[in-house]
Amino acid sequence: MPFLSHGSYRIRYELDGPADAPAYVLVNGLTQYAELWAAYRDALIARGFRVATFDLLGQGESDKPALFISQDDQVTALHLLIQELGNGPVFLSGISFGGLIALRYAIAHGDRLSGLVPMSCFAELPPQLFLLGNALRTGLILGGTSYLQDLLLPMNVSDHWLAPVLDKLDSVKRQGWLVNDVYALQNLMESFLDFEPLTPQLAAIGMPTMILNGEFDFLTPRALHETLRVQILNSSLVIIPRAYHAFTLEKPALTADLLARFADDVMTGRWQGSKSVWIAPEEAGGELTPFPAGYDHLRAIPVKGEIA
Amino acid sequence: MSAFFGPLDSDGRVPARQQTRVASFLISAHGALARRFALSLPLRLESAWQTELNAQFYNESETVSLLLRATSWMPDLAVGYLATAWETAWFPTPAEGIPDQSLALGVDLATLAHAVHSGIRPAALLPVEANADDPFAMALRRVEFESGRLLQAQIMFLKGENLVPFRDAVSTALERRHAEVRKLWREMLESIDISTDENGVKS
Repeated sequence: MPFLSHGSYRIRYELDGPADAPAYVLVNGLTQYAELWAAYRDALIARGFRVATFDLLGQGESDKPALFISQDDQVTALHLLIQELGNGPVFLSGISFGGLIALRYAIAHGDRLSGLVPMSCFAELPPQLFLLGNALRTGLILGGTSYLQDLLLPMNVSDHWLAPVLDKLDSVKRQGWLVNDVYALQNLMESFLDFEPLTPQLAAIGMPTMILNGEFDFLTPRALHETLRVQILNSSLVIIPRAYHAFTLEKPALTADLLARFADDVMTGRWQGSKSVWIAPEEAGGELTPFPAGYDHLRAIPVKGEIA
Repeated sequence: MSAFFGPLDSDGRVPARQQTRVASFLISAHGALARRFALSLPLRLESAWQTELNAQFYNESETVSLLLRATSWMPDLAVGYLATAWETAWFPTPAEGIPDQSLALGVDLATLAHAVHSGIRPAALLPVEANADDPFAMALRRVEFESGRLLQAQIMFLKGENLVPFRDAVSTALERRHAEVRKLWREMLESIDISTDENGVKS
């Protein structure tokens, strides 16, 4: 398995698909590892893309710095990976913590990207997310990785996904528990202790940007994605029906289809961001529909209001 | 070579040879920490943070006691020379770049404890089919869980304000201790037919 070198640290990565194809780079969220993108690799390669995945510093089979992991180091690791891809079109997508790293990369190296897809993402730490993050960190400290997984699972996926696996949660959690270490996850979470909002820098993101947000995501709710939509000029917000924070795990076929369609639209010149708001189809291949005109997409009940 | 203990016996228990070697390593490492915490512990506590020294000492002692009683021991001649190498590695080595010798020794103890508590994950060696009621399996789960909690004192100390001027020295000492402890752990596991990568990751 190949590794990139960043100082004394090694970053494990994987490239799949034809070397001359447009590339999709996928960035993990907290507690995740590259294999969780397997369904995306298959789907995107079948649609003519090259796919790059990697383990963030501190996760999976990448090195785990013992005391500190800075988000700048994660951006550098991502930069090294994208340099491996040559000069063709690169589309970058990341979920949650990985979405934040993707945003940071887009701000710093936007000229290298053809498109950006932040998913379940945030540019600020408002009080609810700040306190939830603190509580998750305390949970990790007091109860270990397994307890953190217990807290994250019901936030990440739906009852529909959980019900059939409720009596075998240990096996669902096992690989994530095996490849993650408490101290490394804690270092990743503590990289937010000096976090400064990215909002003032979002206007620097000029490339086409499709923001994906689960309809029922209460960890990073709509308002956090709205910040991205309002600040990023060439963006659109797509709401994934009945989805929670980790819809990439629960709805891989639909999400991979949206990623491929977005890149195709950009490359064929059909993409129009214009800060529009859309509702994704329930299944892969279905039509996206505009959010009903005159209704406030930030509300959970149908309230008439102006879209900013 | 497998990434996990085995082959398990018909009751789902870890082979005695593997139990003996792993427990010996853990007793050596946690025993060394217990000794060093005991030597750091004043008879009468004078500062609030010293209460943590007391907790660390007794938790390390509990780990040693637990493993002594929960392990199915068997004669293992190799443990003699292996333990010599392990015990040598735990010797105090004041962290370089910190002029205050007592602080440098404190950093060394914290880096060793950090490396043992975070880098050694014995419960991750248990295969899915291991008997959950087996005392050795339960002991490994307890050692790993308690290590995660004990680790917090080392993290708070090593990331603390007092050591900010020596951050590079602390990071260097900690990475060195991690590499050293991981290497010994990996070599010991390979001697009982268990493989891990350099980070101890299993997949």
